Amino acid sequence: MTSHRLPTGGRIGRDVRVHFTFDGKRYYGHGGDTLASALLANGIRVLGRSFKYHRPRGLLTAGYDEPNALVTVLTDGAREPNIRATELEIFEGLVAESQNRFPSLRFDVMAINQFTGKLLGAGFYYKTFMGPVIGPLKGTRFWMFCETFIRRAAGLGRAGTTPDPARYERMNAFCDVLVVGSGLAGLRGARDAATTGKTVIVCETMPVAGGCTNWRGDETQSDEARTLIGELGEMENVRLLTRTTAWGYYDGNTVAALERVTDHLPKRGTPAPRHRHWVIRAGQVVIATGALERPMVFPGNDRPGVMLADAAMRFAEEFGVLTGKRMVLFTNNDSAYRVAMRLKELGADVPAIIDVRAEVEGDARADAETAGIEVIAGHAVVKTEGRPEVSSVFAQPFDHRTGILPGSGRALTCDALLVSGGWSPVLHLASQAGARPVWDEQLQAFVPPEGDGRWTAAGSAAGEGLDPPAPVFEIVSTGGKAFVDLQHDVTADDVRLAHREGFSSVEHLKRYTTLGMATDQGKTSNISGMAIMAEALAAPIPQVGTTRFRPPFTPVSLGALAAERYGDLRPHRLTPMHDWHAEKGAHMYPAGLWMRSESYNRPGETVEQAYIREARNVRESVGIVDVSTLGKIDVQGPDAAEFLNRIYTNGFAKLPVGKARYGLMLREDGFAMDDGTTWRLAEERFLMTTTTANAARVMQHMEFYLDCIWPDLRVHLTSVTDQWAAAAIAGPNARDVLAACVEGAAVDHATLPFMGIVRGAVAGVPVMICRLSFSGERAYEVYCGAHHGQHVWDALMEAGEKFGIEPYGLEALGTLRIEKGHITGAEIDGRTTAHDLHLNWMISSKKPFVGSAMLDREGLMDPSRWSLVGVVSLSGERLRGGSHVVNGADREDPGRSLGHLTAMCYSPAMGKYIGLALVENGPGRIGSRAWATDPARSGTHIPIEIVRHHFYDPEGKRMHG
Amino acid sequence: MAEHPSFVADPVLRDRAESPLTGHYQPGDFGTLADNDPGVTLSERFGLTIVELAAWRGDEEKIRSAVASVMNLKLEGAPGSGAAGENGSAFNTAPGRWLVSGEKAELAAELAGQTGTAGTLTDLSHGRTVIRIDGPRSRWVLSKLFAIDFSERVWPVGHGVSTSHHDIHAAIQRSGADAFDIIVFRSFARSFWHVLCRSSEETGYRVT
Repeated sequence: MTSHRLPTGGRIGRDVRVHFTFDGKRYYGHGGDTLASALLANGIRVLGRSFKYHRPRGLLTAGYDEPNALVTVLTDGAREPNIRATELEIFEGLVAESQNRFPSLRFDVMAINQFTGKLLGAGFYYKTFMGPVIGPLKGTRFWMFCETFIRRAAGLGRAGTTPDPARYERMNAFCDVLVVGSGLAGLRGARDAATTGKTVIVCETMPVAGGCTNWRGDETQSDEARTLIGELGEMENVRLLTRTTAWGYYDGNTVAALERVTDHLPKRGTPAPRHRHWVIRAGQVVIATGALERPMVFPGNDRPGVMLADAAMRFAEEFGVLTGKRMVLFTNNDSAYRVAMRLKELGADVPAIIDVRAEVEGDARADAETAGIEVIAGHAVVKTEGRPEVSSVFAQPFDHRTGILPGSGRALTCDALLVSGGWSPVLHLASQAGARPVWDEQLQAFVPPEGDGRWTAAGSAAGEGLDPPAPVFEIVSTGGKAFVDLQHDVTADDVRLAHREGFSSVEHLKRYTTLGMATDQGKTSNISGMAIMAEALAAPIPQVGTTRFRPPFTPVSLGALAAERYGDLRPHRLTPMHDWHAEKGAHMYPAGLWMRSESYNRPGETVEQAYIREARNVRESVGIVDVSTLGKIDVQGPDAAEFLNRIYTNGFAKLPVGKARYGLMLREDGFAMDDGTTWRLAEERFLMTTTTANAARVMQHMEFYLDCIWPDLRVHLTSVTDQWAAAAIAGPNARDVLAACVEGAAVDHATLPFMGIVRGAVAGVPVMICRLSFSGERAYEVYCGAHHGQHVWDALMEAGEKFGIEPYGLEALGTLRIEKGHITGAEIDGRTTAHDLHLNWMISSKKPFVGSAMLDREGLMDPSRWSLVGVVSLSGERLRGGSHVVNGADREDPGRSLGHLTAMCYSPAMGKYIGLALVENGPGRIGSRAWATDPARSGTHIPIEIVRHHFYDPEGKRMHG
Repeated sequence: MAEHPSFVADPVLRDRAESPLTGHYQPGDFGTLADNDPGVTLSERFGLTIVELAAWRGDEEKIRSAVASVMNLKLEGAPGSGAAGENGSAFNTAPGRWLVSGEKAELAAELAGQTGTAGTLTDLSHGRTVIRIDGPRSRWVLSKLFAIDFSERVWPVGHGVSTSHHDIHAAIQRSGADAFDIIVFRSFARSFWHVLCRSSEETGYRVT
């Protein structure tokens, strides 16, 4: 048995030894132990160094409110800092290390900070690193210089850089009643709701249900709790979740909770997730989160061995561990008396209770004295001593009404000081729900207001059954630093300094001193901090205000929030020919959610070499590209033609069946929105194609018009993007390839002219073929059912073999369209009009259409607007997309931006680097020279000539022929 | 122009059709199986005719009748209501819209004939993938992916919803006591299958 373990008691499995490593040393505990209880049982009481002063720190609490005992857990090569030792359940092989110490916990070089106390007070950084007003480090530069060193010295733990191998999940749940907390109040609430047939979820943050009945030593209460847990376990409409913290209360009674599914197991996070992020939508929420004991602020209150009384009780009752061998209590309320007597019963030496109250009403005092515990009433602890763990405390007479310490005190030898400064209901969820806490004078605590129907508070979370304390939060004396916030090393003097310097509102106090920040969010410090500020302001506490709580209640792993949508679980859209592209070595490139082939690099080829080869092959022979990603919308109904006529700028009403037309649609404000071809398949049926990126937007746009603007039009829209696989065959030999494989339809120029459509079959599979061209070559799009996509693609490749057909990717596609001056989303960027893009010819004057009313606005007619031009690199250097077009030859003084390059490529047809650009007064600049400058990224400054945007075959002979 | 022929009706066309899960669909048991019993069974229902029927305003009843006469399925008017039977299944996905699927060879043509001028029919047989999840833990696994209440009291057999998982649109229909059919866009099918399998590892799963 380890040194501080009691021979019996607790819920630990004493038969099994569980080995773990802390700071490189091996220890053992028992199943059910937390790291805190196991270390305490081994007599280890210094668990970390503090944030700012690097003071040795031990355990203050036994639960989620722990500010000091943060450790780093090392699992499978991943490191996770700032895990509370009080919540970390040990398992065989656990490796943990302490934080904020170098080289070791016992000897830490940064502990020098604690002797520089006056220098490191509140606002230290703001004051010290404002920087000189002149010189090389003026202003914020000095701060930037110092920041590296400060960041190394301060902070909480060190995050790992290796990927976290664990798995995380999300879970959606619905219930009539969500009960947060499984103490007696929560269990009763759950039972009451469940017996009326309601569906109930109970969240308990601890590994076992029952709340504080598990350690308060009240058998009646713990028996009732056991019975209720048993009853609830039998009910099908109840789900009891342990190790689950409800951490956020959101609109619509949605509560976020984190379940630590496998953290307590040696093999964590697969296949069961490590953490599960619950999103619980509840009809009603019962907040039964209990109350937290508060520490008191007095000199030396951070010394290892100073612990909350309730925490000592919990270690003893739940884990059979005594915090010390000789324990003195210090209190302002009756709850500590029960702790003292119970610890004494368990065999601890409890010589005295120091009580700030001169008069202790009720039986508490008499009971304690009968048990042989001295009650030192009207006294306060003014100092602790010990290196580093507490070995004695000094009690001095204290008037709790005035805070004066009259007379001299006495020293008490002890190895633990157990403190109770009163109780604060855990009202965080109510606060997150928007409730404004109410100050309860008797409890000296904030309590939640009446529930608003969506939630109710129950039990001690509502302030029920708590021991009222004397209103004492701080003992002002000279015995050393008195800490308010132990996690952020904020002292009572820091709070007073903040007041003197004008930061006296609660929110300013928090930001100036960092009180209540960091992982514990001030669970043990908020009320004391406010009380000290109230004292300084000579105002009552509720007037100082209360910090509103926001999620999360306790830290939440980012893995749980990201859950299953990162890494290989990120959703992608794949075309029917995806595997073929991948097999051919294509570099797959995300285009939105779609994966598309960038280029098919041959061994040793760069992307540029590959796309030039692919594009050249299209111009010279024939290429094939997967265009299945294009948005496709089935437009059906008696008014389909009329509808499209209103949506597109050009006429669609008279488009013959079996023909396609290139269309442009505008937004309501007259700017270009999307383009694409639409095929008339039947009198009342069209197949619209959109750009890959805009498919969903176009669908929404059109649905809006049908639903809200023209409900009288009988038109139905259905997304059929995924219904069709599509391959574009382009190049002078494209027709010959089709002629070699298409059955049941002729593909000669007379049967299938530009923008014509035929139906036939390829390798026995039905296809639709439309002759249209994005590349500027003679080209055809072959559509077939998506399940047949690969079959048809293979047949097309086979038919094309003798023509040297090669697949081409997005880069070559881009090259061909730039050479041709065709536009894409880079040019239809939400700021360009049809006029800017030289698409005036598509603007019908014979009909109104969406956007037509706004087209003639002065701003849209301005001749100096940016419009589409081509550019050619004059120096032979590669242009950069996004470069600014400027007039200045000097790269250091380029002048103002006249526009920018939207696209660039090496053009095999032109033998030059070319690009498209949107520039001011574009047509007026054609034939002139300028520079493409890219100062922020590549630093290039390249002379260019501005030309017309049609570089290649401007008459269109190749694609029409 | 003639309608595009259905691949379901023609054995040759069906033979040439390829599921988006090809190469990723491996029958067998996976994950943590308790006593050799998987928590869920996953399967792809490939080769169904899947169509969307959309009614013109005021003609909804005619479409429901068309479904009733072709498939012997009784559809109620309420949102999401549906039915499943031996000829296939149908459920309401949006006002005046039903997703209808079945193994019947000429299902699309028969429905088109019965629909007449009351609405439109769009063939989605290539464009959607139907994945069935069945087994005692199906609701647990589905709850990992969808913010939908799958409990029996709000979800009778035949009922369906249109929802999304992350960026993946999904229509879900309850097809049996513990069975649900999830209908996703074909291009997303592999991603969805992958995440569904991963989510099922905890309970153990069988691919049939």
